[in-house]
Amino acid sequence: MNNAAVFTGELRSFLKFFLQELKPRGKWLTPFNVISIPTIILGLIILYFRFTEGLGSVTNLSQQFPFGFWIGFDVMTGVALAGGAYVICFVVYVMRLEKYHCIVKVTVLNGLLAYVFYSGALVLDLGRPWHIINPIIGNSFGYNSVLFLVSWHFLLYMIVLFVEFSPTIAEWAHWEKLRKFLTGLTLGAVIIGITLSILHQSGVGAMFLMAKPKIHPLWYSEYIPLLYFVSSIFAGLSMIIFEGSISHKVFSNLIGEKTHHSHDEIVLGLAKAAAITMFVYYFFLAFIFMHGDKWKFINTPWGYWYLVEVIGFVLIPCFMFAYAVRNRRLGVIRVAAAMAIFGVVLNRQNICLIAFNWYAENRYYPSWQEIVVTLMVVFVEIWVFRWIVTRMSVFSKE
Amino acid sequence: MDRRQFFLTTATVCAGGVPANTTRAEEVKEPKEFSAVLVDTTRCIGCRSCEVACSVTHGNYVPDIKNDGALEKVRDTSEKQWTVVNRFETEKGEVFVKKQCLHCWQPACAAACLVNAMLKTKEGPVTWDGDKCMGCRFCMVSCPFDMPKFEYSGWNPKIQKCNMCYDRLLEGKKPACVESCPTDALMFGQKRELMEVARHRVYSHPDKYVHHIYGEQEAGGTGWLYLSAVPFEKIGFRTDLGTTPYPEYTREFLISVPLIEFGVPAFLLALNMLTDRKDEVQENHGWKDE
Amino acid sequence: MEYYSYVNIFETKGLAYILLICFLVLGILLIKYLSAPEKKDSSAAERKPRT
Repeated sequence: MNNAAVFTGELRSFLKFFLQELKPRGKWLTPFNVISIPTIILGLIILYFRFTEGLGSVTNLSQQFPFGFWIGFDVMTGVALAGGAYVICFVVYVMRLEKYHCIVKVTVLNGLLAYVFYSGALVLDLGRPWHIINPIIGNSFGYNSVLFLVSWHFLLYMIVLFVEFSPTIAEWAHWEKLRKFLTGLTLGAVIIGITLSILHQSGVGAMFLMAKPKIHPLWYSEYIPLLYFVSSIFAGLSMIIFEGSISHKVFSNLIGEKTHHSHDEIVLGLAKAAAITMFVYYFFLAFIFMHGDKWKFINTPWGYWYLVEVIGFVLIPCFMFAYAVRNRRLGVIRVAAAMAIFGVVLNRQNICLIAFNWYAENRYYPSWQEIVVTLMVVFVEIWVFRWIVTRMSVFSKE
Repeated sequence: MDRRQFFLTTATVCAGGVPANTTRAEEVKEPKEFSAVLVDTTRCIGCRSCEVACSVTHGNYVPDIKNDGALEKVRDTSEKQWTVVNRFETEKGEVFVKKQCLHCWQPACAAACLVNAMLKTKEGPVTWDGDKCMGCRFCMVSCPFDMPKFEYSGWNPKIQKCNMCYDRLLEGKKPACVESCPTDALMFGQKRELMEVARHRVYSHPDKYVHHIYGEQEAGGTGWLYLSAVPFEKIGFRTDLGTTPYPEYTREFLISVPLIEFGVPAFLLALNMLTDRKDEVQENHGWKDE
Repeated sequence: MEYYSYVNIFETKGLAYILLICFLVLGILLIKYLSAPEKKDSSAAERKPRT
């Protein structure tokens, strides 16, 4: 009974603290807010129509293009770009490279939010979202489906990322005992998380294995899962570099002096890894190209488009990374990271939308509503990210 | 026969209370093979009574076949109509082709479905269950024939496609379209019988038909078979689908999942133990100094 | 009939090994390039504060 009273007291004081923390800090009329608030409101209005009038009222989806921008960009690309979390966790917790420890928390947070929001965007795209629990609760397990695997791995990975991030939350809420306990779980969570990541990153690619007759042969191969996995590594690394350079400008007051200085070395290390991974990815592409005997497609518009993706946004950023690492040019690294990210975005769009049903006469273009909703998801994610980093010790204060 | 009887008796005795028909796989025989339909496009006159019969049976949009002039252009099945008849101008004159779900023997849509809403029933039809479907449309991405159609308007959308009149089959009746066909262009039966009929027709009229039965091997074999007088790519069929059942394309990936799920964590844990630097000898700076 | 003609599915294998050897050589060059010699590194580090 006494325990219960203590517990309710604790709970009440935490709620008070939580409400206190919910209030915005600093001035709220920033340029970012001015753009994001109207977008979010507009997005919510669009979503109202989407859930009352059906998907067709706001999207350009058709019978030939069942997957649109919400899947192709939010889910496919968002997941690939969130790959940084498992790569960094591997480096820091499994390989024990302490040099990268100071970026673990922020990367894990980014990964967690990306998964929550981008695979959350999947719900918007489902025709009958109230049945989303069916594959989870076990009244109809479709083991035979790649999507079954992917959905379970999304769910489990979100839990794992939450466990990895939870010590920071416990620290913020001053739960010292809980924090110690949760920190103890980290290595286990990391190992499970990496395994889940390998499988769902490649699983997202495996979703297109059965679409063999619909995807242009330059993009289709039975190795799509492998390509998706390898590209998620350098996509994640590039995203860390890209986000890091923005965070260090925007949240510079939250980041300690020492971390600021070591950041250059971290970026150089990540860029080196990205260069090698991209080189491996390029070899895989060349190998698959040659093995599939795809020369006959090269001298067509689709072939040129393929070369734009593979040369322009894989090979060139790879060499830019290598050049920049050798000559310590951080500016070049940032450009290369942006190009590599764009390359991955392009690859996912090509497989999911552009080279999908490439023979179709009526092409799919995202409607403005689809783009607004996607922007809304991104903005809400940034809002939550900002709320968390300004309250919890995500960035290293040293 | 004696041996079989002996096994059966032994099995029954050994199994005790367990019913004999579940003790050995050999004894579990499906009462029927998969149902199938043979479409002979040389017999089709394009009357479109199958379209009407289908829509009436399933409560879908009933086309006005006398006046709508729908044969003027090539149509696709839609969320409102599960089957359509198309007209093609060929070197052998007009050819009419009925289009609907082909009810693959190993359907990609059923393999794609994460909630088993798309289901290959043991009677043959591939059916859709609205109580399970979450509307992810992965079946539409996977189907090589682009058959599942989605209702994009409405808050509670359904996947629409031919279910081979599953309810009628359970009652022992033929599919509505087959029953409505005035020219016997459609023939209902089991695939094995229908293959014999089809081959017989091709062999006895070698000049009338192309020597290929569409659906025998396509995408691993389908429940609907087609005969034609002209090459199939000229009457709206995809002939580049291959003979591999589509679920096979994901098989290796799905089978390798447990291997990775067991192997990778063990490997990572080992790597983590290996890189433990706590007890490292300080004086020795590594293999580079040796 | 296309069903009865021989298709060598390993026809590209020889070329694949040549490609592999080329990329291995290129990969070694890339890694040598990335692990720049100390001299270059220090001169670059000197240059950095100026920019």
